[in-house]
Amino acid sequence: MARAIVLMSILTVLVILPMIHLVFAEPAEAGQYINRKAEIWNLFFKMMTIAFTVGAVVSGTLIWVVWRFRESHPKAKPTKYEEKGEW
Amino acid sequence: MVLELAKPRPIWQIMFSTHHTDVGLLYTIMSIAFFFLGGALALGIRAELFLPGSQIIGDSMTFNRMFTVHGTTLIFLFLLPFASAVGNYFVPIMVRYKDMAYPKLNAIAFWMIPPGGALIWLGFADFSWYATPPYSAISAPGPAADMWIFGLKILGVSSVLGSINFVVTILKCKHPDLPLSKVPLLAWSFLSSSLIVLVAIPSFAAALVMLLTDRLGVTGFFDPAKGGDPIAYQHLFWFTFHPEVYVLVIPAIGMMYEIIPRFSRRPIFSQSSGIFAFVVLSIVGFSSWAHHMYATGMSFTEKTVFMVGTLAAAPASAMHVFNFIATMWGARMRFATPMMWSVGGIALFFSAGAGGVANAAMPFDFITHDSYWVVGHFHLFVMGTIAFGSIGFLYYMFPYITGRMYNETMGKIHFIMSFIGTVMVFFTQHVLGLYGMPRRVFDYMPLPEYIIMNQITSVGAMIIGASMALWLFNMLYSSAKGKEANMDDPWGLGGKYYYPHQAKTPHH
Repeated sequence: MARAIVLMSILTVLVILPMIHLVFAEPAEAGQYINRKAEIWNLFFKMMTIAFTVGAVVSGTLIWVVWRFRESHPKAKPTKYEEKGEW
Repeated sequence: MVLELAKPRPIWQIMFSTHHTDVGLLYTIMSIAFFFLGGALALGIRAELFLPGSQIIGDSMTFNRMFTVHGTTLIFLFLLPFASAVGNYFVPIMVRYKDMAYPKLNAIAFWMIPPGGALIWLGFADFSWYATPPYSAISAPGPAADMWIFGLKILGVSSVLGSINFVVTILKCKHPDLPLSKVPLLAWSFLSSSLIVLVAIPSFAAALVMLLTDRLGVTGFFDPAKGGDPIAYQHLFWFTFHPEVYVLVIPAIGMMYEIIPRFSRRPIFSQSSGIFAFVVLSIVGFSSWAHHMYATGMSFTEKTVFMVGTLAAAPASAMHVFNFIATMWGARMRFATPMMWSVGGIALFFSAGAGGVANAAMPFDFITHDSYWVVGHFHLFVMGTIAFGSIGFLYYMFPYITGRMYNETMGKIHFIMSFIGTVMVFFTQHVLGLYGMPRRVFDYMPLPEYIIMNQITSVGAMIIGASMALWLFNMLYSSAKGKEANMDDPWGLGGKYYYPHQAKTPHH
């Protein structure tokens, strides 16, 4: 689980970082404004795609976890910490 | 009043006590009282906006006064003091110290709040909780505006005193056998938010003095006619109040860190990632203040820097969400009322964060700036996340405070109604903003889309209002007639609690 989280974090950074560099690399001349605007809109749409995808996955996971690991679920069983009362 | 039930005391002994649980109790009662006052103003605002044209509020000035005091009250007199209430109850116990580091200072910090609140309510200023110049510096009517400034000044000093106390208690008074890395995440949240307060508040404190001297005609810091710059105020304001968002949200997340493992019957998935995320949020909170000001003519590079700075908060926030989900994974969760509020708060925290990611992108921000999108986004955080976390935690503290159990059925109905109402109000406000409805307006164009969405929002607000009335009844009734709580394990979960009634020192 911990490895999966670390891996996901690294992949997220690897996807986002080049996009940010793209924006920073744009020249500052006034004539380039339209390009920069297009670039930033492009970044926005990509980020929205990522945000909605991640949002759907995380929200779906949260709903499933809440449903599956409630104590009234037929397959619910005591956690290993319950015996010792350690949490 | 666990201790009061065991051994009744006259009220004045609690009022003038410096014991941390007594001060915590005073904070709790006062913050909840202001919650209902500020909430009543919100219902008035939503009733007015149910239809275009003037409904129940006679004029726009009164409307402006209402949303100004509504915002100021709920941020400074409910959310912040309630966090202090929780900190007072739990931090000394969690770091295994007899009290707060400076008990008298603690009581002074609390007693500064009633006069601050009184100044704000008796003045009833009209310039929004931003007090944006040049209007606030030149023509906002006094003495209301001046009373607001003095009120905020007092509340700011109170926050700083409280923060110093938390920082010293956690860092210097914790038990020598307790390493900082093992200090519970709730206490860590108070350490993080207190450090933010100490760094952030001074710039707004300076801005308030400058605003006051501008109003007195002595200076012209924010008055363009005198060579001043209103944008400078915005920088000073947002340097304080963007980090202040984290001052509000971090303790709420800390409260969830106490509740989620308790009702999941397993320890938190990763203590270290929780600490790391708190520290990161405390730092990056200062790298994003100007995202509130994209429309003020900053250069492209500046805007990009603040956009990236804003996005830097997303991974740290996501770490908390993943931590909660990983804790619940493989658990045996009991959905008692505090747990329902916490899980609901996490879901809404994630939704609010997603809106923040979208809004951080400057092209989108230009579309949504000063629209109802911003109202929806901000409120989804303060109501959907922070208030949900706080209300859930008050249910969690209820047996400890009163020695009795609240009514569980009423608590669950309260949550369900509030969740539905919150989604109706604040999700709809996002869409309303995309349709172009400006914020802080007394009236709006009679377009069918505007009318129906405002009506959905107002009905949602009334549902929240009704649920809060039920909550108040539950609290009052249960504290007098509720079933006696098993103080060692009120929910029958097992595990180790941090009980305020475990406070070892006698009252003083």
